[in-house]
Amino acid sequence: MTHISCHGVTVKFGGIVACSDLALSVEEGKIYGLIGPNGAGKTTLFNVLSRFQNCDSGSVYYRGQCIDRKRPHEMVHLGISRTFQNINLFSEQSTLDNILVGAHRLAGSPFANMLALPSARKTQRALLARAHQVAELLRLENHLDIPVRNLPYGHQKRVEMARALASEPEVILLDEPVAGCNSQEVEELKDFVRMINRELGITVLLVEHDMSMVMEVCDYIYVINFGSNLAEGTPAEISRDPKVITAYLGDEE
Amino acid sequence: MNEGAGRGRLLPAASEGGPFVNADLLRKRAATAALLAGFRRQNMILVGLLFFTAAVAPALPFVQDWMATQASLVIIYILAAQGVSILTGQTGLVTVGHGGFLAIGAYTSALLAKYFAVDLSIDLVSGGIAAGLIGCVLGLIFLRLAGAFMAIGTLGFAFFVGAIVNNVPIFEGRDGIQMPHSHLFGMRLDDFGFYYVSLATLGLTTAFVYTLLRSPVGRAFRALRDAEKAAESSGVNRLFYRTLAFTISAFLTGVAGVLNANITGYVSAETYGDIWYSVDFLVATVVGGSSALMGPFVGGAFIVMVPFYLEQLADFAFILKGVVLILVLQFAPAGVCDLIARPFRDLRRKQLQRVQDDAAKTPPPALAALFSRGRQ
Repeated sequence: MTHISCHGVTVKFGGIVACSDLALSVEEGKIYGLIGPNGAGKTTLFNVLSRFQNCDSGSVYYRGQCIDRKRPHEMVHLGISRTFQNINLFSEQSTLDNILVGAHRLAGSPFANMLALPSARKTQRALLARAHQVAELLRLENHLDIPVRNLPYGHQKRVEMARALASEPEVILLDEPVAGCNSQEVEELKDFVRMINRELGITVLLVEHDMSMVMEVCDYIYVINFGSNLAEGTPAEISRDPKVITAYLGDEE
Repeated sequence: MNEGAGRGRLLPAASEGGPFVNADLLRKRAATAALLAGFRRQNMILVGLLFFTAAVAPALPFVQDWMATQASLVIIYILAAQGVSILTGQTGLVTVGHGGFLAIGAYTSALLAKYFAVDLSIDLVSGGIAAGLIGCVLGLIFLRLAGAFMAIGTLGFAFFVGAIVNNVPIFEGRDGIQMPHSHLFGMRLDDFGFYYVSLATLGLTTAFVYTLLRSPVGRAFRALRDAEKAAESSGVNRLFYRTLAFTISAFLTGVAGVLNANITGYVSAETYGDIWYSVDFLVATVVGGSSALMGPFVGGAFIVMVPFYLEQLADFAFILKGVVLILVLQFAPAGVCDLIARPFRDLRRKQLQRVQDDAAKTPPPALAALFSRGRQ
């Protein structure tokens, strides 16, 4: 089943065309990679998919439903969750609180919550238990009470992932999950991404510059360059594709 | 394993523990939860003690009538500061216009008391609702403002309210409205009676604010304050929660306005048309610490009591207030409460660490162990 698909996506910033006529299709249960040289329009496309950016033309579909008119906060209710390229966390707040905000979709009626009605208390207890589970899943259970700004970078990346996971999404969009991480952290995060996909059955679409991550983890890769689709295929196909090699390394001449 | 996963079933029911949980983690989780609940209980006992002391204080031998009025005034400022701290401290929207909401509460109360001889209980609710409604509308109008622009916008609102009460005939401008003596459930309130009404109101609002801030709603407020995009991508409806914060904040300050009108029995544009209330509330929030539950208590007491003790010094009190404000900003930017709470918080954190370590003597399971579930 197709989860997310888009076609003809064009985004212009003034005179600069960030995306032109981009198309991709994400099938359920796989890990997708989105790669391309700097400035190729990967993050713009990500923002279009998560509705932080309107596109000038083209459409985005989720499970066959057009989501061009949705607002960003509605995406997570549909089942699409995302992380950000530069860590975007509630930095003064504890790890647990960050994860709990991520679970906001499951929190129920704000009015019941405000007055701590019995139904809300029950939901909050369940929510707290889930937050603990997600934290344990990403091995953050020893840092629950610590403000995230005091955590090492790799941990913050994991908190970001935990926040996105806490909403129990069907699709998770990871914007450069290992950017700025050391090799050990990269290995850990690879395992986590695989786990999210294999154990939890969540479809993953990730933007990444780290080729080892993309090649080892992804089932299928989309390559874009100068805002246009360049190639797509399995990691093995992509690594042999002359167009991709040219885009990354330049012409032989 | 994939067949067990899916929407809403990502994690099994909380009671089952989850597929990746072993006995160590469960023990650790239980110990952590127990300790955190203990901390919460300590907080509640502390606040309870504070209210108990305030309730029995009038029985002390040296207490005089004027003290009741002074204490009521402190409570009014605490209430207003609670309103400001929800908006400024929690949601991150700086307001310099809450004097406007105070005025709306006060004038609602004065008009209702003068023309309809309404009971104070109804006054309190209707004053709060009137301010809350205006706050809701204002929240929608200011939807796109942030930072300094929000401060200027709210300041404009305070001036707007000032202009209205100065010029619209029903508010009687600088002549003011003389209110009949306040009654609660038909009883005429003396100074101590009024003090107890104020204290009970503060008790209710404190319980409400405490519940609110601990709930997902409070978390949504703080999420919008700290990282708006991340909050939105977590499903926090920015429009809804901002407007809600405005409404609740205005409601609380409106209730303070009702009490403030009743404490003197007189409202006029001379006091409510000015922005000094707005500035005082903001200062109270900053001094007390905008994030802490206790912040408004410290800040409110500070704003009322400093000029009171320095009355002989006349204008010098203003200067001293400024000096203290600068000192606070310099040495305790997160507020006096934060300064007091910090060692306790560190202590608690250490305690939590110890409990977690004790609960699981063995290191957390390796990732491989997490994958092969049940191996433990």
